[in-house]
Amino acid sequence: MYKLYLKIAARYLFKNKLYSFINIFGLAIGVASFVLIILYVNHEQSYDTFEGSEHVQRVYMDYLEGGEYVPGDANAYIVTGPTLKEEFPEILDFVRLRQMNGVALMIGETVFDNNKGSLADPSYFEIFDRTLQKGDISKALNEPYSVILTPVLAKKLFGTEEPIGKTVKILDSESPLFTVTGILNENSRNSHIKNDFLVSFKSFYTWPSFEGDWEFTWNQNMYFTYVKLDPRTDVALLKQKIMDFKVEALPFERHNMEPLEDIHLTSDKPYEAETNGSAKRVGFLSAIALIIIVLSWLNYVNLSTAKSLERAKETGIRKVAGAQRPQLIVQSILESILLNVIAISIGLVIVVLLLPLFSTYIGKELTLQFSNIDTLFPMIGFVLLGALVSGIYPALVLSKYAPATALKGKVRTSKSGIAIRKGLIVGQFLATIILLAGTFIVTKQIRFLQNQPIGVELDQVVALSGQVLNTMPDSLFLNNLKAFKSELGRYPFVKTIAGARTYPGGGYDALNSSAGITFPDGRRDDKRITYNYGVDPTYFELMDMKFVAGRPFRENAQGTSNEVVMNEKFVRFMGISNMEDAVNKTVHFFNQDWVISGVIQDYHHFGLKTDIQPMLLRYESNGDNLLVKFDKTMASTAGLSLAISQIENKWKELFPQSTFTYTFLDQNFEAQYNEDKAFGSAFQIFTLLAILIASMGLFGLTSYTVVQRKKEIGVRKVNGATITQVLALLNKDFVKWVLLAFVMAVPISWYAMGKWLEGFAYQTTMSWWIFALAGITALGIALLTVSWQSFKAAVANPVDALRDE
Amino acid sequence: MLVELNNIFKWVQQGGQRIFLLKDINLKVEEGEFISIMGPSGSGKSTLLNVMGMLDTFDEGEYDFLDEPVHKLKEKHRANLYKQYIGFVFQAYHLIDELTVYENLEMPLLYKKISGSERKSLVADMLDRFNIVGKKDLFPTQLSGGQQQLVGVARALIGKPKLILADEPTGNLNSKQGEDIMKLFQKLNNEGVTIIQVTHSEKNAEYGKRIINLLDGRMV
Repeated sequence: MYKLYLKIAARYLFKNKLYSFINIFGLAIGVASFVLIILYVNHEQSYDTFEGSEHVQRVYMDYLEGGEYVPGDANAYIVTGPTLKEEFPEILDFVRLRQMNGVALMIGETVFDNNKGSLADPSYFEIFDRTLQKGDISKALNEPYSVILTPVLAKKLFGTEEPIGKTVKILDSESPLFTVTGILNENSRNSHIKNDFLVSFKSFYTWPSFEGDWEFTWNQNMYFTYVKLDPRTDVALLKQKIMDFKVEALPFERHNMEPLEDIHLTSDKPYEAETNGSAKRVGFLSAIALIIIVLSWLNYVNLSTAKSLERAKETGIRKVAGAQRPQLIVQSILESILLNVIAISIGLVIVVLLLPLFSTYIGKELTLQFSNIDTLFPMIGFVLLGALVSGIYPALVLSKYAPATALKGKVRTSKSGIAIRKGLIVGQFLATIILLAGTFIVTKQIRFLQNQPIGVELDQVVALSGQVLNTMPDSLFLNNLKAFKSELGRYPFVKTIAGARTYPGGGYDALNSSAGITFPDGRRDDKRITYNYGVDPTYFELMDMKFVAGRPFRENAQGTSNEVVMNEKFVRFMGISNMEDAVNKTVHFFNQDWVISGVIQDYHHFGLKTDIQPMLLRYESNGDNLLVKFDKTMASTAGLSLAISQIENKWKELFPQSTFTYTFLDQNFEAQYNEDKAFGSAFQIFTLLAILIASMGLFGLTSYTVVQRKKEIGVRKVNGATITQVLALLNKDFVKWVLLAFVMAVPISWYAMGKWLEGFAYQTTMSWWIFALAGITALGIALLTVSWQSFKAAVANPVDALRDE
Repeated sequence: MLVELNNIFKWVQQGGQRIFLLKDINLKVEEGEFISIMGPSGSGKSTLLNVMGMLDTFDEGEYDFLDEPVHKLKEKHRANLYKQYIGFVFQAYHLIDELTVYENLEMPLLYKKISGSERKSLVADMLDRFNIVGKKDLFPTQLSGGQQQLVGVARALIGKPKLILADEPTGNLNSKQGEDIMKLFQKLNNEGVTIIQVTHSEKNAEYGKRIINLLDGRMV
């Protein structure tokens, strides 16, 4: 019997090609979109989950700001771990990681640039549940000058040679030799803190490169600190105790902690190890995934129900032949399962084909591993459950028809049936309009971010950040640097040069922060962290920063002085409203007096996601970043790369043992919005797919309603209705439904997108025309889809329509 | 007694008025009879047939089928009754387009939970008897009207019913095909099957042993 059911279902699908195509393809797209998004969501949620990860917390610092504690630093102090472990028995162990980014590794004379590593306590393996593929895990990080590598880095450094026992220099050529004591096991696990190599923490105490930091007190706050808790711990209580724990040396800070598993999605503190994900984005995408799959189910329900009218005769015959309702329901559901299984299979094929493209598009390494296919089961289960549920309504409708009427072909959709179908269509339009409005707002916001003046000119500016590997005395280095600068100045394509610790778009990493600053009027503020960085006097001209009062630093031979320049926000923060009044006043921080030489207009240092912060620039010539502004006439890409290679040659000439990297500042600044752009792209793609699904459904549906109204249309035309009037008659309903959906969609998308915009300090306006445009687009798509069918019906010869009777 | 209708009324409400489809029908049908129901369009012939076939309900009166009071039976029980004892033949044949001739014949047996091997032999018998073995793998649309109706009759007979209800079985056929079907009915009746047919044609009605005339829902 079931074989027959399947056979008839298969024949039916083949016979009604358009219907089958629309139904299967719509579902397949729905399934594919859903699976792709869920893979992304799973990826984002998989960060730092492993055996025991639920008992690991990260300790970070809250800063007092305006009388309240706010998350101030993702790092904690070097003594935080040991102190807290001593103080709280709930803490079983801790691990400190001090990150080193863009590190050069040297084997003999060969330099391997741009590696990422950390100093790490031996407890790392236990707390992060990592194992070694080679080497003794109980000793690997115990001795000073031990280093362990990832397999990838080991391969890069040593090729096929046995890495264990080999030595490597880290940071510079004067570095002590580090012995490779272990190779980490490969793991596909995601983590918010990524390392290519780990150096035993004990190396730190004698490693000359860190000499300036050999102060093991509440002064060294560059240590990501993770603690492993006793599983029986009341976490909320311990968190409170840690917050209440007073450290005398830190009057304006307190410790706090957060679950390791939550860091990637919820933490966005200054000095994070990397730009984290966003729970909000994940939430939005999950909602879109759900909307799309529900949309395709609605489609399916709608189409099959409409189609069931056509199959009423079959139902009638079966009933007359003795079929009972449950049997007919089973048959119908079986058919829908068959159709869904085909659709899901096609959908999964689409996923496999599109995954690489989708991964690049959203900038995440997503994989569909068949080794752990079980992660897919919940998804497929969910999709199949939906298939079953969406199969039930058409089955009920189909099996309900009374045989006598069904056989006469007099079956009409019932009133409640029509209401349900209208509801489904309105639901589809609702989803479409919400997604459209969402896409428009996301696109508008991203464009706003890109076009908003940021108060500095980053065009044609390159930051050179070479690293000198042989230690040379500072004076010699500065001399060479000066020579390099003057050499550069001779190139016709170089307009301005300036050294700087960091630059707009450089994030928090190279910024100094200070809490506790004494204002010119003698008041001391302890309520707020302020940031500062060191630059050359030419920096302001290069960046096209406008002085509202005063002047840049006065250049001197030492390349540093006690002059500072601050932004307007800083001046207002000090309670001075007239910018001129701040000039030549003295502020006190970092244990010394600083003279304000000028005030610059506010500019965006962090991008438009964050408010403008009070910012202070110190005179401090340095080679961390050498900013070079090119002449406008050099705008061509070929010209630029030629110019850069000339600069690189010059650099290598002056600093033979060094690395050389460069960054375009405008691109770097834009990169802050990469995640948002990826989100916008994903939003656009899936909105497009949702619209495709919805309009395919609409197309299929109208082809049936038009058939049903064929006689009516014929009669009207015989009685003198024009094609336009018939079109209007057929399209009128859809206009009504779109309007209804529009009215419901506006508040929903207003609210949802408002929530999304909250993540930006600077927001575009949600103009009325965005919603109007979304509504009109939806209406246009609906009318286009519907009219194709309506037009065919309207121009048909009425005699054909009436002959059947 | 196969069928006994006593004072059967059926009506629809239209604009506050009762429009009678069937009015005080009294009819007794013995096993082995061949009855033709005649009357103009809208006189209630098909309605009467549907009521007898339990495809349609009535509003008043009593209906006994093989001494079972149909008007008191539950839907499920009623379905079992007609599934077992009644076969239908339609003007428009009503074969399932997606099924082959063989599968169309097999379908009613599926709903009677008859085993696979028995189904096979029953269908084979029927194909043989109606001389359509060669057509068993064709789909209905590949057959002529007469052949389709032949399959329709074969399907009605396959469950070995006591009663065949035929609603204008020759209505869509030409005169030669129609005559073939009528002769088939006569033969079946001679073999003991009770037949009730609705027809417009005087000539076809003559095949019946008894003719019932309907006018505006009443027997005349």
